[in-house]
Amino acid sequence: MKKTALALIVMTAPVLFLAPSWAQPKGDAANGRKVYLADGCYQCHGRVGQGGLMTGPAPILAQTKMPFAAFHRQLRNPINDMPPYPENLLSEKEVADIYAFLQSLPGRRPVKDIPILNNN
Amino acid sequence: MKKRDIGRRGFLKGAGVAALGTSAGPVVAQPAQAPPSSSGAPPPNIAAETLPPADLAQQQSSSGGDFMVDVLKTIGFDYVTQTPASTFRGLHEAIVNHGGNKAPELLSCVHEEIAVAMAHGYAKIENKPLAVMVQSTVGLQHASMALYNAFCDQAPIYMIAGNLVDTTKRLFGFEFAHAAIDPAVIVRDFLKWDDQPGSLQHFSESAIRAYKIAMTPPYGPVLLSVDGELQENPIPNRAALTIAPVARVAPPQGDSAAVAETAALLVRSENPVIVADRLARTQKGMDMLVELAETLQCPVIDAGGRSNFPTRHPLNHSGRSGAVLAQADVVVGLEVNDYFNTIHALSDRIERHSRQITKPGARLINITARELFPKSNNQEFGRYQPIDLSIAADGEETLPLLIEQVKRLVDAERKTAFEARGKRLESTHHAMIEQWKSDATIGWDASPITLARLCAELYDQIKGDDWSLVGNGIRVTWPRRLWHFDKTYRWIGSSGGAGVGYNVAASLGAALANRKYGRLSVTIQGDGDLMFSPGTLWTAAHHNIPILYVMHNNRAWHQELMYLQAMANRHGRGVENAHIGSTITDPNIDFAMMAKSMGVYAEGPITKPGDIAPALKRALAVVRKGQPALVDVITDPR
Repeated sequence: MKKTALALIVMTAPVLFLAPSWAQPKGDAANGRKVYLADGCYQCHGRVGQGGLMTGPAPILAQTKMPFAAFHRQLRNPINDMPPYPENLLSEKEVADIYAFLQSLPGRRPVKDIPILNNN
Repeated sequence: MKKRDIGRRGFLKGAGVAALGTSAGPVVAQPAQAPPSSSGAPPPNIAAETLPPADLAQQQSSSGGDFMVDVLKTIGFDYVTQTPASTFRGLHEAIVNHGGNKAPELLSCVHEEIAVAMAHGYAKIENKPLAVMVQSTVGLQHASMALYNAFCDQAPIYMIAGNLVDTTKRLFGFEFAHAAIDPAVIVRDFLKWDDQPGSLQHFSESAIRAYKIAMTPPYGPVLLSVDGELQENPIPNRAALTIAPVARVAPPQGDSAAVAETAALLVRSENPVIVADRLARTQKGMDMLVELAETLQCPVIDAGGRSNFPTRHPLNHSGRSGAVLAQADVVVGLEVNDYFNTIHALSDRIERHSRQITKPGARLINITARELFPKSNNQEFGRYQPIDLSIAADGEETLPLLIEQVKRLVDAERKTAFEARGKRLESTHHAMIEQWKSDATIGWDASPITLARLCAELYDQIKGDDWSLVGNGIRVTWPRRLWHFDKTYRWIGSSGGAGVGYNVAASLGAALANRKYGRLSVTIQGDGDLMFSPGTLWTAAHHNIPILYVMHNNRAWHQELMYLQAMANRHGRGVENAHIGSTITDPNIDFAMMAKSMGVYAEGPITKPGDIAPALKRALAVVRKGQPALVDVITDPR
């Protein structure tokens, strides 16, 4: 238990102390879509955030449950093999816009509504 | 008519004489005569000055090529793939005439890379090679990429390279360019064995030896360089030549003490994991792996080098390999080629690094025949992974002993513990499948079409057939998530060497093997891969090989495009130029038109998800009647 708590502190420390402002900004989803496509996010994560594959899995982003702070950090200083998107390539506003776009995506549908996914 | 057996060059020259001296009817050598000159001076004796002796015969009643065909028939080849070339014309002619073009039947390919890649795919379905004939220098260089893939993938490939050994028997300039003193040297790094027979008896013995070597695990490519004179010249004494029977090969089985130790570790372990890669050579391999896993009630990770374990089996945990490996206290690899990669998470950053997934102290075992045949130059064997027990033996052949030893050690207490573990794993497996189905719904109606939608639609059309996914060029993960692979022939593994151009032709070779079993062959075909060997489609039509090519057309060499993005952002330069040199647009390729031009039924490009199913239905109707078809689908990149 003690170890788990310590690990959580270590993992969240950069978020708590390095982030400029972690209140989720209101983004422009329409512009976010443009930036998402123009900056090549879709090349790995899919046009509708369905996820994909690079050298490893590129996570699903549609309606991501990732908090904005973690999302921001992943863009600026990514873990795994994702390319970094520093501020000269992606402004703070554009980060917020992309996040808004991802939240606006339809995401999942009930599997039961799609018969061919229920045939095996 | 006088018959006299002569050498190939003599035959050529004699034919030239005959063409000058006769018009029709039986060909008999005649000295060429020029008409008398008007001055009355004696005409020049052209024959004496420029042509070979007049008594050279025109025909022969036997040839080395005929004998070679007898050898190939003894071995039992069903097919020979080839792009025609003069250095094996003697053998070519013997196959289609002396051999009756049956067993082996000659198949025409428009590029040697196609001929070899077809052999690669064929071998993985049929568990035996077909033969491939190539020219020894230019042809073999064309073939080399496909040969490298087959070597990395441990597939048996049987190459026959026509060569002209004797310089005095070469005539034209190109015949010198098409000859080498050691043709195999350019591919020897990825051959198991090769030879250049000096006589027909030598050919016979080496041909049988080559087959035995290719088919002894680890399987691999072999090559015979066969002299043109040897193929074409008459046989002095056929009765003196012998052809040995093909030996049955017993693959190497693991040392019994080492296998017993492995069994004991597995039975005692709380969290054992089995990883299978190029394991199942036959259905027996899959069946035995199921038996072992069910006895232990332990998770299996099928790395996909072959179809090793049913995807819907509750002990299949390939989709959560990281999680199960992190828990493992014993990991048993079965024909795992790259053990290091299997148990490490890798990161492609400025400073590349790796992190071992398995716990410190986890016992690592590998059973693989690859240990019996190491090569040094090409590095496909991967990074060195220290392991506790390395058993140099064939995985499939060792499974019966391992199962027997495991069963002997399982007592009532362990059986109870195994059953509890099995229930937990079953529950996790079902949750994983449901999660994947839910993931597949994202972007269900999007255009460009998602790969999940494409794969779900394809499976819906073929699931009632005895289907075989003979290719999946760019590792699309959805079939293994959404389809039930329950036989070894449902999937044949990937290229081995990751050499682009494999998928289109290897798929056709596998479809050729599937044809006689009445299976429905389908392949997921990348656009970049198809453009390496588009002529494969002509071979499919020409030889009536039923296969459905479903294009995953993302109009790019997309893996490279993603790498370009990573490189650009590493420099803070943005991704605007990442498409330069990594996309296949402007103009977009009309793959349906291309396929139609070569006699293949085709539809597309399809951009709307709702149009996929009707197009697949129409195309599959063609395939079920025994013909190839292609459906071009414009997809999201990944």
